[in-house]
Parts: sequence; C-alpha cells; structure tokens
Amino acid sequence: SRNIKMSAPKTIPKDAQVMIQILKDMGITEYEPRVINQMLEFTYRYVTTIIEDAKIYATHAKKSNVDADDIKLAIQCRMDQSFTSPPPRDFLLEVARQKNQTPLPLIKPYTGPRLPPDRYCLTAPNYRLKSIQKKVSSSAGRISVPRLSVGAVSSRPSTPTLGTPSVQSVTTKVGTPVSLTGQRFTVQIPPPSQTTTTKTTTPSTPAVSNVLINPSLIGSKNILITTNMVSQNTGGESLKRKHEDDDDYDAL
Amino acid sequence: FRAVPDDGGLVDADEDKDIKTEASNDSWGNNNANDGRLLSPSPGSSASAGSNKSAAGASEEQQTLLAVLQFLRKNKLTESVEILRREAGLPEDSLEPKGADSLLSRVTASSTAGAQAPTKVAAGEDQPDVNVVLSAYSQQGDPALYEVYYSGLKRFIESVLDCHRAELSQVFYPLFVHMYLELVYNNHESEAKAFFEKFSGDQECYYEDDLRVLSSLTKKEHMRGNETLLDFRTSKFVLRISRDSYQLLKRHLQERQNNQIWNIIQEHLYIDIFDGMPRSKSQIDAMSGSLAGEAKREANKAKVYYGLLKEPEIELPLDDEDEEAENEEGKPKKKKPKKDSLGSKSKKQDPNAPSQNRIPLPELKDSDKLDKIMYMKEATKRIRLGPDNLPSICFYSFLNAYQGLTAVDFTDDSSLIAGGFADSTVRVWSVTPKKLRKVKSAADLNLIDKESDDVLERIMDEKTASESKILCGHSGPVYGISFSPDRNYLLSSSEDGTVRLWSLQTFTCLVGYKGHNYPVWDTQFSPHGYYFVSGGHDRVARLWATDHYQPLRMFSGHLADVTCTRFHPNSNYVATGSSDRTIRLWDVLNGNCVRIFTGHKGPIHALAFSPNGKFLASGATDGRVLLWDIGHGLMVGELKGHTDTIYSLRFSRDGEILASGSMDNTVRLWDATKAFDDLETDDFTAATGHIHLQDNSQELLLGTYMTKSTPVIHLHFTRRNLLLAAGAYNP
Repeated sequence: SRNIKMSAPKTIPKDAQVMIQILKDMGITEYEPRVINQMLEFTYRYVTTIIEDAKIYATHAKKSNVDADDIKLAIQCRMDQSFTSPPPRDFLLEVARQKNQTPLPLIKPYTGPRLPPDRYCLTAPNYRLKSIQKKVSSSAGRISVPRLSVGAVSSRPSTPTLGTPSVQSVTTKVGTPVSLTGQRFTVQIPPPSQTTTTKTTTPSTPAVSNVLINPSLIGSKNILITTNMVSQNTGGESLKRKHEDDDDYDAL
Repeated sequence: FRAVPDDGGLVDADEDKDIKTEASNDSWGNNNANDGRLLSPSPGSSASAGSNKSAAGASEEQQTLLAVLQFLRKNKLTESVEILRREAGLPEDSLEPKGADSLLSRVTASSTAGAQAPTKVAAGEDQPDVNVVLSAYSQQGDPALYEVYYSGLKRFIESVLDCHRAELSQVFYPLFVHMYLELVYNNHESEAKAFFEKFSGDQECYYEDDLRVLSSLTKKEHMRGNETLLDFRTSKFVLRISRDSYQLLKRHLQERQNNQIWNIIQEHLYIDIFDGMPRSKSQIDAMSGSLAGEAKREANKAKVYYGLLKEPEIELPLDDEDEEAENEEGKPKKKKPKKDSLGSKSKKQDPNAPSQNRIPLPELKDSDKLDKIMYMKEATKRIRLGPDNLPSICFYSFLNAYQGLTAVDFTDDSSLIAGGFADSTVRVWSVTPKKLRKVKSAADLNLIDKESDDVLERIMDEKTASESKILCGHSGPVYGISFSPDRNYLLSSSEDGTVRLWSLQTFTCLVGYKGHNYPVWDTQFSPHGYYFVSGGHDRVARLWATDHYQPLRMFSGHLADVTCTRFHPNSNYVATGSSDRTIRLWDVLNGNCVRIFTGHKGPIHALAFSPNGKFLASGATDGRVLLWDIGHGLMVGELKGHTDTIYSLRFSRDGEILASGSMDNTVRLWDATKAFDDLETDDFTAATGHIHLQDNSQELLLGTYMTKSTPVIHLHFTRRNLLLAAGAYNP
C-alpha cells in the first residue's frame, strides 16, 4: 500500500485556479506569481469583512440567518467607505465652471518665495523641545528648523530674509562628535561631560565663539563658523576646518 | 411616407405598440434629462403633421407642456393635471407614458442645432443623479429582438456600396455597446451575454480593451461604480459621416421596424455630417479609437494663440565678450523653426502669439535674468541638428532601482536630475561635479557676512554637501516630477493624492497641495515658473500657483484619468493626455477646452510641444507617435516604429529632431523638420477634418538606439542639443 502523500506541489488550490482564470479573462498574460497570492488575500479579506458585517446587520434586524439583503447592505456600506470612485462628471463640470469664472489673480511683485499662507505650508516645526534643567544631552543634531524663507537672492548682496528661530533651547553642536579623519576637515567637539545649563531664552546671550579660519588655508574664501556653544569653552578647543577645493570632498 | 425635416421634431408613431411600459417613472425622468421632449403619441396625422411642419420652437413648447403634465401626473397631482390639460388644450391621450422614446433628432446639417440639445434640460430634472443617468437605459424593446435588430443592420451595411461601408461601419461599435448596456441595465442578463458573445468579435480590434472591461459587467450593480462607463453613456459618441452615407442609413432605418436602433442612434450618438466624399477606412481608422468617438468639428475651431511670447530685453553685462546682439527681440513668426534670433529686430507682434499680459506671469528677478544670459550664451554654442547630424545620446541608467523608478526630470540646464520612486521617495542628484548643499540653519546664517560678494556661496552649508539628496514625505509612489525653471523648487505628485513642493535649497518639503483625492499621475511647472499643472485619476487637470493652496483652474472634460499634462511654451495653454485616448488642449485664461485630438488607440503617456509652439507630438501605449497641428486642429503625421508604450517624447532645442523613448528599450530619432514641412492645409481639409497621412514613417526615422534592457522613461535635450535619456535598468 502506498503512503498517503501530500498533494503534489504542482496542484494549485482551487481558489488560485480561479484567480488565474480571472487574470486570463481580463487579458493579463504577464504577471508575477505573487499576484495570485495578493488577489487571494484581498478576496479572503473582503469576503470575510462583508460576511461579518452582514452578520451584524442580521442580528440587528433580529433575524436568525443572514440573507441576501444583509449582504447587499454590507456591500453597499463598504463601497461607500473604501471603494470610493471619483466624483461624477456633471459635478466636476459644474465645479470647474465656477472655478474657471474667477479671473487669474495678479501676481504681486517679488516679496520672497511665493508660498501659500504659513498654515497651509509644511514649514513650521512639528515638535517642541522640552527644557531640561540638568545636563546637556549628547545627541547631535539638535538643530532647530527655523522659519526660513529662502528664495533666489538677487545678485546684489542683500540680506536673505530670515525668520526668527522659534525654539526653546538651542544646543547646536556643529557636526557630530566624530572626528572625520580622512576628510579634509576635522571638527572637535567638547566632550559632553560638562554640565551646563541650557538657556531657554532665545540664543541672544549664549557664548558664541567665532572662529575665523586662517585665510591662508582657504584662499579667497573667508568662512565664518559660528557655534552656539552654550557650554564653556575649555581651553584647547578649537574648531578647525580646512577647506580645499570642492572637488576634493569625498562623499560623506 | 412621411416627410421628415432635418432638424426639429421627428415623429414616429409606428412602434409604440410593442413597447413595454415598465415602471416608467425613471424613464420619464430620463427623457427629461436627455432631451426634454416627449413623443406625442397621437397617431392622428394632424398632430404629427402639426409637429412636423411647425418650426422647432412651437413643437418644443408643446412638448415642454407635455413634460410638465407628465411630471404632475407622476407626482399624483391629478387635479392639477386636469386643470393644466384643459387650459393648455392638450389632447387626452398625450398623457400616456409611452416609454422612453426620445424624439430629438441628433442629426444636424451644420453643427449648431445639435449643440442646443444638451442645454435643454427639461422641467423637473435639476439634479442629474446616477439613477436618472442610468435610466437612460430603461428603454424598452423586446430584449430578444436586439440581436435581430443588430443583425439586420449588419446585413444592411454589408450590402451597401464600398465607399459608404467604411463610414457606416463606424456605427457598429457604439451601437453594440449601448445595446449591451441597455440589456444589462434592464436585468436581461442572459440575453446580454448572448448578445455580447455573438457580436463582440465583429468589432474593431482597437476596441478590444474596452470590450474586455465590458464583458465583466453583467449586472446592473456593476455599472454603478464605474465612472468612465457612466460618462460614456451620458456623453454622445461622435461620428463623422458624409451626407450621402447618412442619408442611406436614415432611409433604411426609418423604413421598417428598425426604429429601436434609430432611437438608440438618436439618443446616444452624435452624427456630425459633412458634405463631401466619404472617408476611406484608413482615414477613419487613423482618427478613431477614443472612448467618445471622434471630435466634433466645432470643438476644434476656437482660435488658439500658439505663438511664443516675446522675450524680454536683457542688457548684457559689459564684460561679456561673446558676440551677441545688444538686445534680444521677439522671435518673428516663421514657418520653419529658427534658432534664437539674435540679430532680428522685428518688433511686430506675432498675430498668433498671446499678448504679454493675457495671463499674469511673474516678472523676472535678477537671478532669472542671469539665467537667461547663460541660456543665450549656451545657445550660441548649440549644435545644429539634422538628418545628417544626429545628436549624441547620453543615457543615465538607474542601477539597483529596487524601489521602482517611476518618474524622472532634468533641470533645463541639465545640472540636476531627480527621480521619483515607488517607495514614495524622491531623490535628487547632481549631474555636474558640483555637489548639492543645503542652506545653513538660521542661526548660522545670522553670522555670515552679508555684504560680501560670494554670499550665495556662504549661505550654503558645506557639511551637507553630497552627491544626492533624498526627499521623504509622500505616502505613495511618486508618479510625476518637475523642476522649476529657476531651479529653486521641485514638484512631485504621488498616488497619495497630493502634489508636494520641495525647496532645493533646504531640501525640505514646503507645501503639500491637496485637491485631487486620487492618484495624481503627472505634474509640470510652467516654463515661466509660478504656475503648475497636475492631472490624476479623478479625470480633471488642475492649474495651481505656488502661492495658492487651492487650484486656480480646473480642466474637466475627460472621460477617464488624465495621465499626462504639459504646458505650451507660452504658458497660455495646457495639453492633457488621458486614458480615454484623447488629447485636449485647454486655455489657461478661462479653462475652456479649445482642441480635442483623437486618434490614439491606447492611453496617452507622452506629450511634447515643438519649440515654436505650433505642433504637438503625442505617444501612447499603442506605440505610435502622432503629430498634431495646433492652429488647425488636425493630425499631420503618424510615426510608426515603436513596438511598446512610448513614455517620453522631446523635440530638440530648435525643433529639428523629435526623440521618442519607449518601453521597448529603444530611443528613436525622427526628422521633425521634414514631417512638418509642406503641410497643405487647404480649406477642404480644415473644414472637414479629412486628413491624408503619408506613410512615410520609414523615411522620417533617422535612427534607432537600443539600450540594454532599460526602458526609456525620460528624454531631455541639453541647451547645446546633446540628448540625455534616463531609465532604470531592468534585467
């Protein structure tokens, strides 16, 4: 007597065969094999959802069995919820007619980047920093995103407009506490063992260390590096940055 | 034999008897929605003669009264009915609902009468809702006879003279679809299936996809959710038939009991009659294929300002040593495209160009002027292309794009390339050795020397320099990407229904424009910046400005998704290609559709305007590139060669070469100068829309360049006419 084997791997379950037939009927000849599984999953999920909903409606109507009306109601409710279709054409035509009647608004002369009012933009910070009394956290990159409006600046060296940074506390450590050897510039950060108080006022009073790079290293560029180092600078700290030509930068 | 006027009411009193009267409240409503007339069923000759000989106006009055009467009756206001009938002096039997026989003859000799019909929305129907629209099908006729009717028509058309047969065969497809849908709507499922099986094989091959969708629709409920199908029925399928052929058809259908077909034709078809020779099969095939038939001739009659805007005068800096003219003047209108006319002093306004302030455009900033100067400098170094001087092609392959590359764009000066991916990210790369940098944070910016000359360099944060940047924000695959002309912004449109504006200085997202609630398939900035257009699954294209959170214009009219949106070089017009296989040209000023181009047999995925603004090239899933003359509204060329969907089209900078890239892994170059040369658009062609396409695709093809299994999804000519192409390697 033969052992009872599991069905041979070539036999596809009936449901999958149905899916394959559907694809064939709709004229789809090339598809990844995963598509069948996706379709099966979707079908299973949809049908069970409908039947469960129908069951709820049937019990609500105090019927002992689920009948066709319950199913119809369940389908209709689901359609309105998940499978919405775009608005009908006459509605669109009407809306379009109204909208197209208003003349195009005149364009104001350039006053910065042309963006909608701030509450329709995504430029506001979406977090708020809590003020801590104790030590400085060592996470890098506590850099706030100020309301910055930057546009194409005119060729005259006028000031780009800046919004005021609306942050509670600013602890900007320039870069990460990693010495990037092998790069052309090195940044040294004071070790986070210093206990400092982070000021919660706007950074008008923190100790700012301006380091002017030795012009001879750079050539014609004079770059000002500023850090809002709220911590005291212990001696021996310096921020060195060597600039060579742009082409020498390795990928970061 | 009854005399029938060309326009006005058509009375047909024979077939009333076998018409079932179903619960005809809907059908009644429908009649009103469609045409506001009621068949006056009185078989007496006087009434028929009366409505025949009276001008259209009087019979309309009569029928509006009848309509009101029916409405009252439906709502059981019997007393009012009596009173009205007495006062209006209407005959007794005009009240009986005779089913949904529509009276209105859709046939028009010249086109205007037909246009009146859609505007006559009858009394009692102010809210066309789905039921009303669907009830267009409660027309009764014995379902079993539908096959007989159809076969009868088929036999007739096959017996007709050759010259007329091609034209009359156009009727088959819309008739078939409408009859099938009618059967389905009235729940005659088995008859519908039999009808479908018997006749679907006879239809033209290019309707195959539609028929397949139709075959899956077997019940009334299936029709409800399908917007495209609903639109198909409410909008009239347009056919262009010559007068002779039309007379033949009309005579045949009115003779016998073929009135069912006649009714359907009247209700759902719009027959645009022209005087002249009947068209040949190939001419018809070239223009047909869209979901709504062809375009009515008057749809393409509006004046389109396809000329280019005058270039502003820019003073060149004094230390500029290239030899260029002092000022750059407007380009004179010429038949053949010319390069930037650096020496011409023509100050005439191009009659075909829109005026400068037809639509408000942003003024030029200093940086824009610098850009223009760069542009002019580059233009002088531009290579002149031609059949004997083909461009070199530089292909950017996206390797390891597991994320699924779905959209690509280059900046105009070819310095940046952006890719949109199916994992909802957008990546920007720098093509030149110059890296991408973010602007410094505000705190840092405070401290730079604002008066120095290189402040623009200083505001950049060197630590953030990298070859590429990733922009995350969308929640669905990114299907459309567009750089702004001043290289400050990037737009991306996605399946999540939003269009996002990204800043290329901070590499963060600035705005999310919500309006489409469905996938947005394409978006593009206008050539002058500030405006952009987007088109999506909701069948409309929207025009936005970057500083308005709602769209300024909505271009609604397509029957299916808008898959491709492009601005005209003068920013006054927008072309949209759609899944309903038509291309529409919209006027930005007032949102009107000024051109409808039919002829493609598949959804359109690529559009390109020629640099002189006169011509439009389009590519679709059928592998053909079609060329259109915008001014006349005609098809002027067909380029066959590709074997798969064309996803990108681009004209060279001076319009001499058209490059097309396709899913079949090739880039093909076509001779555009020759294709547009010697166009004879005489009055006859313009009036009738007959086109004589030469089969010269082979001559126009200048070269085919295969890639190594990389579909080409974007093409871009640099300012010096080097062709850049992009695609994702797909082994």
